[in-house]
Amino acid sequence: MTRSKYFFFFFVLFSVLLFPLSHGEACVMRPEKINFPDTIDGWRLEGEPKRIDKANIFDYMNGAGELYLSYHFDHLLVYKYKNKSGNDIVVELYTMKSPQDAFGLLSLDWGGEPVNLGQPEDGKFMKAIIPQNRALYGKGLLRVWSDNLYIRIMAFRDVPGVKKVILRLGEIITAGRSHPLPPEMLRSVKISTDSPWTLMKDRTAYFRSYLVLNSLFYISHENILNLDLSTEAVIVTYERELETREKQTARLVVIKYPDQERAVTALDSFFKAYLPDQKSQVTPDRERESQGFFHIEDGWMGFRLSGRELALVFECPDKQSAQEMTEQVLLDSLSN
Amino acid sequence: MKKEKITVTRRDFIRGSVGATLGFTLLGPEWLKGAVSSDSRSSVVIVRDKNVMDTALNADKEVLENMLEQTLLHVTGKKNRNEAWLTLVSPQDIIGLVPTPLMNPTHDELIDVVKESLVSAGIPAENIRDAQGRSVDLEPITALISLPGLKAHWLTGIGTVIKNYILYSGAPRNYHHQNSTKLGEIWNLPQVKGKTKLILVDALHPVCDKGPQVDPRYRWPYNGLIAGTDPVAVEAVCLKIIMAKREELRGEPWPLSPPPICVEAADKIYKLGNSDLNTIDIETIGWAEDLLV
Repeated sequence: MTRSKYFFFFFVLFSVLLFPLSHGEACVMRPEKINFPDTIDGWRLEGEPKRIDKANIFDYMNGAGELYLSYHFDHLLVYKYKNKSGNDIVVELYTMKSPQDAFGLLSLDWGGEPVNLGQPEDGKFMKAIIPQNRALYGKGLLRVWSDNLYIRIMAFRDVPGVKKVILRLGEIITAGRSHPLPPEMLRSVKISTDSPWTLMKDRTAYFRSYLVLNSLFYISHENILNLDLSTEAVIVTYERELETREKQTARLVVIKYPDQERAVTALDSFFKAYLPDQKSQVTPDRERESQGFFHIEDGWMGFRLSGRELALVFECPDKQSAQEMTEQVLLDSLSN
Repeated sequence: MKKEKITVTRRDFIRGSVGATLGFTLLGPEWLKGAVSSDSRSSVVIVRDKNVMDTALNADKEVLENMLEQTLLHVTGKKNRNEAWLTLVSPQDIIGLVPTPLMNPTHDELIDVVKESLVSAGIPAENIRDAQGRSVDLEPITALISLPGLKAHWLTGIGTVIKNYILYSGAPRNYHHQNSTKLGEIWNLPQVKGKTKLILVDALHPVCDKGPQVDPRYRWPYNGLIAGTDPVAVEAVCLKIIMAKREELRGEPWPLSPPPICVEAADKIYKLGNSDLNTIDIETIGWAEDLLV
């Protein structure tokens, strides 16, 4: 091969590898092929994996497919192990287009026993607003966030010894994969040390869709906050104990829109549907930060809008708490 | 004058104005004129047996047969199983069984027991069909027996009775978002309306959160069948059980989110039955521990 042919060959190769970047998609080369063992402690791998994508996800899991499409879903591979008694272990590898999306899926439920599959501990900051875990196990189901993979390994029957096999499979799948930090968006929420409110870190979730928001904290059956795959959002739950030992909870939702106009439009849409009686009192200011607090049926709610970020608080017992919570959010600087 | 759009929100649930807002949203202001509550009462039967599943969660057909018989006798008030079936269906009927096919599916053992029981009551075996799915021809079917699995659903709150006919719509995804309120309209499609003779919910091993994708942490052996002829009343009782289980798991109120708006809509908008527990008589038979109603 001549020198110019070598040059041409490498030019084409690099062009192909870099092409997706030009379309704004994350292009990180990751090992797609995982070497699953044929047998593991008496469990045998059954045939080739089933590949599920956007076109057939509803055939595979019916309405649950909406959950994965609410994040940047690429495809799913389903492997099955069987033992001599006919019990199954199903391994589902959800390949998401970014680690943030895979993280989001794990963040929807922090319940279960934390397990370490050889993954590193996260930074101090993240510990404060979310649990530190990347893998959780409970009653035969292991859920893992590993780079851009969300993994579910489930035994349909929690038979003796199955947990060990499931954890081993988790280790095999995650071996050699990178461990990015949780989404930057989570840094929007500050931790206050002198507040009577405690941030319930096992209730913090990262999402992009109103369907997911509604499954965590119902606001409306319609998409009144104009959430979609181009938005990022986090929900935080605060709790405080009263003198009567009764507990109060309040919610903070922070949303980052692609631009300021989208944020302003979303706030307008929210007010029309949620607070039509207060609509006249809200005129979002594009030049400076705007905020407002309203007493409604379930307590005080408030908003703070700055640049392309919007913070909303719900169910606060008083105006002061609502103000305090919105102030815990580091919103976009208008100069950005 | 341009009509202002009305959207159901959290505030409607707190104010107790969901029915009114739904009426306006789905049917317009004319809805108010016809919005009269029904005076009739509904009955729901819960039959449980501690031994219906073994420790490995295998269902015991013999125990299920007995549970089915008890259910039929109490739903119909008849003295024997065959007589009970013949008050619900006739040997001339073409009967469609509608189980839950995916994600916490109806136990095969329950479907088998229902088929065998129908045959022993004199229904020709060839008249009994599987009627679940979007490609089912409902035209020749004269009687439907709905056999859903009890589960919470992350998009609709509950995904049991009213949602069990979703595939008959031909466009199930259209009923998953804000339009989940309209699930009841499927029951009023000409090929479906009036055909349901019995709702028999498989509550052996329900899911109380994250459904339909199963998370074993939210499944528990309830070991029950829940039945009746009013789909909304059966759903309302199922809902009560799921909510009670959620509260028990967390030790504090843990409301379903999103709220199962399709249940109230099925009652107030589509007039399919009673959703108010004050208008439902619940009869319980068998194992009474952790009944949750």
